[in-house]
Amino acid sequence: MSSARANAAESVGGGQISEFVERRRADATPFERELWDMIDEIPDPHIPVSLVEMGMIYDVEAIDGRVTVEMTYPCMGCPAYDMIQNDINSCLSLTDGVDDVDVEVVWDPVWSKDMLSEPVREKMRKSGISL
Amino acid sequence: MSEWPEPAVDYVQAISDTKLVLGHRYAEWSLSGPSLEDDIGGASAAQEEIGHVRQLARELESQGRDLDWLNGQREPEAFSNAACLDSIEGTWTEYVASIAPADRAAWYLLDAIDRDDLDGLITKMGEDEYFHLEYHDARLETLAEDNPETVQRTLETTLPQALALIGPEAYDEDADPVFETGFTDRPIAKIRAAYIEHYRRLFDGTDVSLENVDWDQPALEDWDETRRRTGSGSISQTDVEQLRGEKNKLFTMN
Repeated sequence: MSSARANAAESVGGGQISEFVERRRADATPFERELWDMIDEIPDPHIPVSLVEMGMIYDVEAIDGRVTVEMTYPCMGCPAYDMIQNDINSCLSLTDGVDDVDVEVVWDPVWSKDMLSEPVREKMRKSGISL
Repeated sequence: MSEWPEPAVDYVQAISDTKLVLGHRYAEWSLSGPSLEDDIGGASAAQEEIGHVRQLARELESQGRDLDWLNGQREPEAFSNAACLDSIEGTWTEYVASIAPADRAAWYLLDAIDRDDLDGLITKMGEDEYFHLEYHDARLETLAEDNPETVQRTLETTLPQALALIGPEAYDEDADPVFETGFTDRPIAKIRAAYIEHYRRLFDGTDVSLENVDWDQPALEDWDETRRRTGSGSISQTDVEQLRGEKNKLFTMN
């Protein structure tokens, strides 16, 4: 395999990636922050942390009642691929001010363990998950 | 999303179909390995290949391909998978010597794609493929010690078929239509050279000789550029029905 692509994820990893997610959340409007908080209540079906804590949510944008959630997956072949999107959809659709939810799956930046903050890592370690 | 050149759509279709059938073969053989680790590895690879297909289907749909058609609503002859996956007869040795060349060929084609909007997607697939290909090579090496005649005999058939998926030697930088559009960053001739060199090195010093492999396949005049193969073979009708998952519809959650 070409080493360029194999190393690509690592080259943008570390602090840059977690900062990328944090920056997106910090740029949110008050209503978008509410939506972020709601998604933060949705558990990852495999790991005892939320989708937000897993670093899978890249952006939440609300324009005139239309919400777009940009997300990724740690595993492209995730068996819960549709279920997770349905969870987000169901959760946000019931919110006042939300008319329509669109979940968009993206792969840039590529998810890595660098997406996990230290408190989340600690939470996972306590659950017996080695990192 | 911008429109791809037509030859590029067929190029990605062949990668996607190869991965679709590859995932199916991994799943079929995932209870037939010599060890539990091999079975688990096969099941995991199946899951990853199907994940790749899901994303490639999204991309192909955005280029005008019908999603139901992509997901199997077509005749067996309409699949553009590597011919070495059409059917796998024999033992686990024949299986490994059939899937390994196909998986590597599909990855080399994918890795050659040079588009910023697909870079993250392909990088992510590459993370999975790194382990698939490492595993295959390690297994081919041990099988070359345990059962060199079978490995050699199988590769004499499957390597030319995988080379047909990559494309003809004549597709150099002046003749490869996909490279000419800028969709890929290297011509087929260069991808083939890297592929052939890999397998020559892998079996160098083992009891498996690749001397009788027809490395010149496919001849340009015999090559079907849509299905990326020579000849009219295909997967079976039963395979297509299983790929569609018709008998499992009862268990569909959505």
